[in-house]
Amino acid sequence: MDMKGLASDALPGTPLSDEAMQKGKVLTLKWPASLRYEWDTGVAIGRFLRELKNGRIIGRNCHRCQRVLVPPRMFCERCFRPTDAWQFVQDSGSVNTYSVSHLRWDASRVEEPILVAVIEIDGSSHGGLLHYLGDVRPEEIRIGMKVKAVWKPAEEREGSILDIRYFRPFNSAQGGPA
Amino acid sequence: MGSIEHIDRVTDLRTWPGEFPVSHLYTMGIAGERFFRELKDNGRFLGSRCAACDHVYLPPSIFCPRCFAALEEWKEVGPQGTVRAVTTAHRGVDGGTLETPETLALIQLDGADDLLAHRIGESEGLEIGATVAPVLKETPEREGSILDVRYFRAV
Repeated sequence: MDMKGLASDALPGTPLSDEAMQKGKVLTLKWPASLRYEWDTGVAIGRFLRELKNGRIIGRNCHRCQRVLVPPRMFCERCFRPTDAWQFVQDSGSVNTYSVSHLRWDASRVEEPILVAVIEIDGSSHGGLLHYLGDVRPEEIRIGMKVKAVWKPAEEREGSILDIRYFRPFNSAQGGPA
Repeated sequence: MGSIEHIDRVTDLRTWPGEFPVSHLYTMGIAGERFFRELKDNGRFLGSRCAACDHVYLPPSIFCPRCFAALEEWKEVGPQGTVRAVTTAHRGVDGGTLETPETLALIQLDGADDLLAHRIGESEGLEIGATVAPVLKETPEREGSILDVRYFRAV
């Protein structure tokens, strides 16, 4: 077996370079797996997605611990009992944590970094939504920064988390964009 | 205590579709590389032999799983072999009905101690113990795959 042009042999085993595989220096078998799934949204996320289509964010209240869960859940894991009531919350919130990603999910590089954040939604008391940030430069993002949802137009919404395009900086005192 | 809410309108039922975009590029390993190169280039089957265990592995292995010795003795086996098990499949891998049922067999190539699974063609009423020979693709069509053997047929 021709090992020339292959990776270093400093470690035991038989290292192979990407080139050796891609250029056919070694025999390979390609197998594209078709792994499709359908995930049952259930009661809580089903309602959550329907309300997104209506341009609203809904949570679920536990009367015992007084928390409002966003995204909603039908069970309070802290009190170990079903949650009690639906409750609409704001479409604004604050940045709990964020990341400036120069890689896509498949590890390929992107020119413009993808800005992702966990947003703690105003009116909720726990958790948050993982979403994009927009209309902001990466260096301007701060933890605790106030942000507000930028929605798709009603006719384009389909009951998806992407019915919110992204969250943008928002000055709540002025009631408008920062 | 809140009561448990149920979905009572069919129109509220919803699933979220997705797909894992996973593709594999599987390499053959040292022994597999040698086995499939030999099949592709020369249309021959190579096994590896453990002298201590007196066992010829097919497909070949670079070590003996019985005594863990490294194996360096390569041995040509076949091309003819003996049917050790045979079945006819009426359903495909996706569970659907096959238009043409497919006969599959476990074949012990002459000189090998292991069995090779493959398709059977041109052989009505094949039974265990029958002698079979491979029908290979033409050299330019072969690509280093077990499907370089189209099928085995009775001789």
